[in-house]
Amino acid sequence: MHWRAILRLFGILLLLYSISFLPSILVSLWYADGQWPAFATSLLITVSAGLILWLSNLRKRHPLSVRDGFLIVTLFWAVLGMLGALPFIIGLNWDIADAVFESISGFTTTGATVIEEIDRLPKSILYHRQQIQWLGGMGVIVLAVAILPLLGVGGMQLYRAETSGVAKHEKPTPRIAETARALWTLYFALTAACALSFWIAGMSTFDAIGHAFTTVATGGFSTHDASIAYFDSIAIELIASFFMLAGGINFVIHFLAWRKRNLWLYLNDTEVSAYLLIFLGGVLAVSISLFLAAAYPSFLEALRHGSFQVASILTSTGFSTATFGLWPLQIPLLLIMLSFTGGCGGSTAGGIKVLRVLILLKLGLRQLKQLTHPHALINVKIGQRPIMEDVLFSIWGFYVLYVIVCLGLTLAMMAAGLDLESAIGAVVATVNLLGPGLGVVATTFAEVDDVVKWLGVFGMLAGRLEIFTLLILFLPAYWRH
Amino acid sequence: MLKRLLTVQKVLGLLLVLFSFSMLPPAVVALLYGDGALLPFLYAFALILGIGALNWVIAIRASHELRVRDGFLVVVLFWVVLGLSGAIPFWLSPEPELSITDSVFESLSGLTTTGATVILRIDGLPHSMLWYRQQLQWLGGMGIIVLAVAVLPMLGIGGMQLYRAETPGPMKDTKLNPRITETAKALWYIYLGLTISCALAYWLAGMSGFDAIGHAFSTIAIGGFSTHDASMGYFDSTLIEMIAVVFMLLAGMNFALHFIALRRRTPVIYTQDSELRFYLFLMILVTIIVTLALFYTNTYIDWEDSFTQALFQTVSIGTTTGFTTDAFYYWPPFIEILLLFLAFVGGCAGSTGGGIKVIRFLLLIKQGLREIGRLIHPNAQLPVRIGGKVVSHRVVDAVWGFFSLYVATFTLMYLALAATGLDLLTAFSAVAACINNLGPGLGTVGAHYYDMHDAGIWILCVAMLLGRLEIFTLLVLFSPAFWRR
Repeated sequence: MHWRAILRLFGILLLLYSISFLPSILVSLWYADGQWPAFATSLLITVSAGLILWLSNLRKRHPLSVRDGFLIVTLFWAVLGMLGALPFIIGLNWDIADAVFESISGFTTTGATVIEEIDRLPKSILYHRQQIQWLGGMGVIVLAVAILPLLGVGGMQLYRAETSGVAKHEKPTPRIAETARALWTLYFALTAACALSFWIAGMSTFDAIGHAFTTVATGGFSTHDASIAYFDSIAIELIASFFMLAGGINFVIHFLAWRKRNLWLYLNDTEVSAYLLIFLGGVLAVSISLFLAAAYPSFLEALRHGSFQVASILTSTGFSTATFGLWPLQIPLLLIMLSFTGGCGGSTAGGIKVLRVLILLKLGLRQLKQLTHPHALINVKIGQRPIMEDVLFSIWGFYVLYVIVCLGLTLAMMAAGLDLESAIGAVVATVNLLGPGLGVVATTFAEVDDVVKWLGVFGMLAGRLEIFTLLILFLPAYWRH
Repeated sequence: MLKRLLTVQKVLGLLLVLFSFSMLPPAVVALLYGDGALLPFLYAFALILGIGALNWVIAIRASHELRVRDGFLVVVLFWVVLGLSGAIPFWLSPEPELSITDSVFESLSGLTTTGATVILRIDGLPHSMLWYRQQLQWLGGMGIIVLAVAVLPMLGIGGMQLYRAETPGPMKDTKLNPRITETAKALWYIYLGLTISCALAYWLAGMSGFDAIGHAFSTIAIGGFSTHDASMGYFDSTLIEMIAVVFMLLAGMNFALHFIALRRRTPVIYTQDSELRFYLFLMILVTIIVTLALFYTNTYIDWEDSFTQALFQTVSIGTTTGFTTDAFYYWPPFIEILLLFLAFVGGCAGSTGGGIKVIRFLLLIKQGLREIGRLIHPNAQLPVRIGGKVVSHRVVDAVWGFFSLYVATFTLMYLALAATGLDLLTAFSAVAACINNLGPGLGTVGAHYYDMHDAGIWILCVAMLLGRLEIFTLLVLFSPAFWRR
């Protein structure tokens, strides 16, 4: 474990991160909401910590190993998550559980909130919340596209650009830093396009930028309690749906489609086309169910709200125009299943990821075939490529652990006092990085005990870090050299 | 294909003829107690005998050897056909007053040893009816033993061939008798032996003769039907509950182990089996957790009550039997959910228990842990081992495939049940209770399924069958490849 090199790296990261407090200071001064001292203090604390770490390890430039990678990734989210809590603690006097929950919910792009009256918060705080999700999204892109495939977590080797069918001779760029730069440019561009569209559709500039931040990051924080329902505008909902869906697609595919100016690449990718089909299927199923259950007066209304919620929940964004937990019959359950499915790998979305779900289903179907032909050798294929056994093992192991974490957290939350529905809702909200849940946590986590909030923090980190990356740190074998 | 279908028909005809004779004991009970429910059983006897004989005669010339593939069809038809036939007495009898849907549900619940009931008032029923219900479970259990120990491994279902690989080194030459009928006979002797011991124990502990036999039937079958609405709680006797615990645990073990232990006259095999060890470990662990939870939430005031109740309920639900004591419904919700989760694991392979089976669960856990290990040492070869032996690829694939389809079918049934209007908790526990062949659920299906409407009942019938037939056996019939050639 190259401790000093890791500390040095974090020193640099903290210094970079401290810069992100500057826009909030500017917003605070602009709107004269009196919060700028809190941000200034947060900035100073972060800069000091960063300087200490960096300067005391200045020359320790060890190359970092894969094993270090797990620790770095986890610490990155945990540490930045804590630092992002500083403005809440210093400026608004929140207690630690609330502040850390909100901040981690930001960085992991979950979108669950402990705040009950968002509309009354100072503008700079609102900006800060939106921004941490956007920054979190940037981190996720790099994590999902460059780092996790290297670490080989839960089948992520499949996303190694050089093995993907589309990019057979073309990888975005071989080194993490360059890959990051290329993808961030895309991310910026999407955010800008989204903000512009929101603004044209009628949002204020502040809202447009803020919501663009959390739409492309598929985070779901809003500057209003009513979330997107505040605007009551079909145009805005459609724009949001479009960019949420975009945020849930593998950014490598975005990159290639842009580079080669070819939209067909989206449909050629097995995962993306499955994702879009799931979306369409979900929209149909939910809208028709809503209409049949008379939840809305007309089919168009049902379609409007159904499709928005499906887009929001599938991509684990979590914007809402309705409290889906209150929808009748099997509809909340259907949406929860979509939440577990999640978006595509290599995107900012949460959940198990479409590709893994596809492969898991194929594994089941393969067994059926195997029973009829016991001596045949049947491969599991994605597109034309057969998947190697060790990748299948990896996906399988991921799935088992994901289920165990969810079940364990559900029990823990119930032991902490939640009823079953709320416990399941809380787990869905955090591990799948969705945001809104069910029951007591249908809209906010304001009403729950601190224990539940800390469990939620664990869930959010586990979900964002794809379970393995977090759990591996709990194994003694990891720490032995 | 047609010729083999005829053979299947012949086998089924024979099975129906045999099954019809099972209508006679209840008829005798009806005569003994003079309870007026004699006629439904006589009619059922005649009807089932007739249909069985007819089918047998029509197919009498068929003498084709059944292939392994036909095994799937036979197994499914066995349970479906017997399930439907077993419904006849329920439907014909005015007590209980059951629709066709409900009759089929009750009958299937008996034969699959689930133990979920649609009957509102069990205590007022005629003795012959009560006997019949208990007997259905006992017969179902006999079928399951043969299914689980002999048939499913042959069919290669969901990793069941795993249990064969399980027998440790020196035991390798002691395989169970290769032919199904001889294996069945050996197992049935053990089954009978356990039932008699259990009945005797219950009777000595204070149950009436009728209750003792009846409950022994449903204890060894890991079914859970009782002759009383209050289930085991009716007797209010810790001694009876502890006897039940012992026999439920025994019935939840692999019957092949019982066979080997008896053959070799030594219990050493029990300590060598990893599935058994894990099964007991889980029971002990969960009992401890539940005991602590019960005590610290003041559900029970002293340790003794907390422990005995925790032990009984954990074993009852963990093995998927489904007996309850009255107080269970007032326990803290998180304990109920914990126990429901335990029911998903279920009994050992080769037992009358339900759930996904301990060995598959063990394999899945090892798989998950192994994957984490591989992240630390990516180049190490860490094969999954059970009992010191490496598990073959084929088996691992089969277990995954099983679990994948299990989750998929569970999800679909859950959605369907929720669509009929049930609240999410009830729907979840109902599907869980039926697919794992547990019996009682939570919420409004805690005590009985009387309030469930027909659509839900049919969905749950499918769930019970899927669970008992280990998913694949039923689903494979829906794949076109099965019917070709």
